[in-house]
Amino acid sequence: MSQASSQHTHRRGRLQTRNQATALAVLGVAVLLILGSLYLSQVASFAITNRAIEDLISRRDQIKRQNEQIIGEIASYRTVPRLYARAVALGFSPATNADIDYLYIPGYQPQREAKALAAADAKAAAPVAPAYDQTFSGWLEQQFALLRAQFESFGE
Amino acid sequence: MEGRSKQQATIQLRMPFVAIFLIAIAAYLVFNLANFQFFPRSVRQELEKIGSSITNTTLRIPAERGLIYDRDGEPLAFNIVQYRLGVSPNLVSDPVGLRSDLAEILGMDEFELYRRIESDAVWEFITAPIAAEQGQAIAALDEISLSLEEIPRRFYPQGSLAGHVVGIVVDDGLTGTLGVEGAYNETLAGQVLDLAVSNVPLDLPEERPPEQRGQDIVLTLDRDVQFWVETELQAAVENYGAFRGSIIVMDPRNGDVLALANYPSLDPNNFLEVKDPTLLQNPVVQETYEPGTVVQALTVAGALESGAITPFWTYNDGGQLQLGGRAIYNYYFQSFGTTDVASVLARESRVGAATIAMEMGGQDFYSALRAFGMGSYTGVGLFAEERGDLRVPGDPDWSEDRLALNAYGQGFEATPMQIITAFAAIANDGIMRQPRIVKQVISETGSEEAQPSTLRRVISEETAFIITGLLTNTVLQGAPQALLPGYTIAGKPGTAAIPTAIEIERGANTSIVSFVGFLPADDPQAVIMVKLDRPDEYFGYEVAAPVFRSVAERLVILLEIPDDNARRQLAAAAEASRL
Repeated sequence: MSQASSQHTHRRGRLQTRNQATALAVLGVAVLLILGSLYLSQVASFAITNRAIEDLISRRDQIKRQNEQIIGEIASYRTVPRLYARAVALGFSPATNADIDYLYIPGYQPQREAKALAAADAKAAAPVAPAYDQTFSGWLEQQFALLRAQFESFGE
Repeated sequence: MEGRSKQQATIQLRMPFVAIFLIAIAAYLVFNLANFQFFPRSVRQELEKIGSSITNTTLRIPAERGLIYDRDGEPLAFNIVQYRLGVSPNLVSDPVGLRSDLAEILGMDEFELYRRIESDAVWEFITAPIAAEQGQAIAALDEISLSLEEIPRRFYPQGSLAGHVVGIVVDDGLTGTLGVEGAYNETLAGQVLDLAVSNVPLDLPEERPPEQRGQDIVLTLDRDVQFWVETELQAAVENYGAFRGSIIVMDPRNGDVLALANYPSLDPNNFLEVKDPTLLQNPVVQETYEPGTVVQALTVAGALESGAITPFWTYNDGGQLQLGGRAIYNYYFQSFGTTDVASVLARESRVGAATIAMEMGGQDFYSALRAFGMGSYTGVGLFAEERGDLRVPGDPDWSEDRLALNAYGQGFEATPMQIITAFAAIANDGIMRQPRIVKQVISETGSEEAQPSTLRRVISEETAFIITGLLTNTVLQGAPQALLPGYTIAGKPGTAAIPTAIEIERGANTSIVSFVGFLPADDPQAVIMVKLDRPDEYFGYEVAAPVFRSVAERLVILLEIPDDNARRQLAAAAEASRL
């Protein structure tokens, strides 16, 4: 009796050990599957995002190029020879002095910048051009001025 | 037994050496392993580069070049994209379909396309450049075997209009070499961006550093004035059988160049097709010439300023003058007898100009020419400007007769830009403004307006007034072809003989003629310089003066310059309203 009982217990124990190993293996596989699917979903998400961003960048560049193209076309349509030819075709002709009447508008100064410059000149006298000196020092000074001007022109 | 113990003793004796050897080898390996971790910087960078080249591709992205506008904001130069098309034949799944699609989009021969698509090469070039619309249509095919590479291209929508001013760009759109493109290359070019792009799909695109695009430039040019000036110039060159010509229009009050035209002109869109290399230079600033009798105005202005002569000065013109072993003659060996200053200018008297220069003396004369900017860069802002050649006393190849020659514009060289700048100073009451072609520079952070600046006072206001009067008389007496009804015009025709290595040429097509004038004479708003090389007629008043008139006729309309009567009425109305 006791021998049979111990044999039974021993067999059950072996069975339990096998079940546990199987369960652990299944669990392991399940965990791996979960981790794998998480990884794959992350990868897929990254790839989709990248693709979307690249598409958007490409689209942006394309729109920018189309815009430049349109600006180019507009500029080509607005060239003076084209506008002139179109105006002539519509029956216009270049104005002559006889076609123009000038009106005085109180307070309006059409040449504001020029007047302001003239006023500035009147306030601060413009530097007078240095006289050319026929001495050696004059010649040296002149060469130095030329050299300086040359350097300044390089810097532009 | 004894032998065995002897063997053991030998082993024990050798063992320490073996151990030491092994330890040394191990130490050497460990040392090298450690050393391997700490490379010199250069090696590490090289290895990193190799490593990153596997996962990264470096894209060289040129910065978008700045745009160029005229003073009213009309684009003169901007960027477009074109494409270069290639195919990887191994990746083509449907050669027949691809062939017919491409033939339809590109308008290419189907057999030629078939030959390329069916090639054994890994990659085959198809065509370039392809217009943007065609490129977009090809991109829409979504065909992985096709590779579309962008080619940035500079586009000049106005064609040849102001071609020499705007300039050209070479080196795949990176380097400007003429006009404003060349002179302001650094401003326009921006900064090239080297961008490392990951090939790994998991890597998110790295954030691009902000693109440093070039700055935009607004010119002082007026597109309408430029168009009319170019039209008149072309007609003049053709009518007078000239070799070529130039016209410049400048506002003397601020130094703005309103128009700068050369004929034959240059279309920057097709500069590679230009056969004559001199067309790739702007003669207005890059070429010098002997300006001829137009310089007499500067001689007289300098003499008046220095006090060497007065407006009432006279001399006896015998038609010939000997100086420094050289005989100076008037045109056609004319002698004018007792002659005043006004007649020197009106009759283009060479002897008169030489006599005035001798009255001044070398020091005052060259001082005046230098003050007017001869021999110096104008700094107008155009590529590769020349400064001319003015020899002065003290220079090895200066001789006394040069004083006489220089007085009427021979024997020294200047650019047309220098000549018009000098006349602009006379027109602006004796004050020389810095000539400029760029009005404004616009960056992403804001715009910078180039303020007009004053270079110097060349002559006094009184002298400017007197010389303006003399130049007005010159037009009336010596170049009535330049007169424009309703306007008082001050100006000076110029005729320059063309010296060759052997002699000075004579006859038809052997002179450079010019006319420089400003209007209205009492309140100058525009200075115009006309220059024609080798026209059928010899003298400036015959050829250049009528062209000046044609240009001025359009200019007064475009710049809204009222005639003298209208200006007087406007001034009277202004006075009345003030009272």
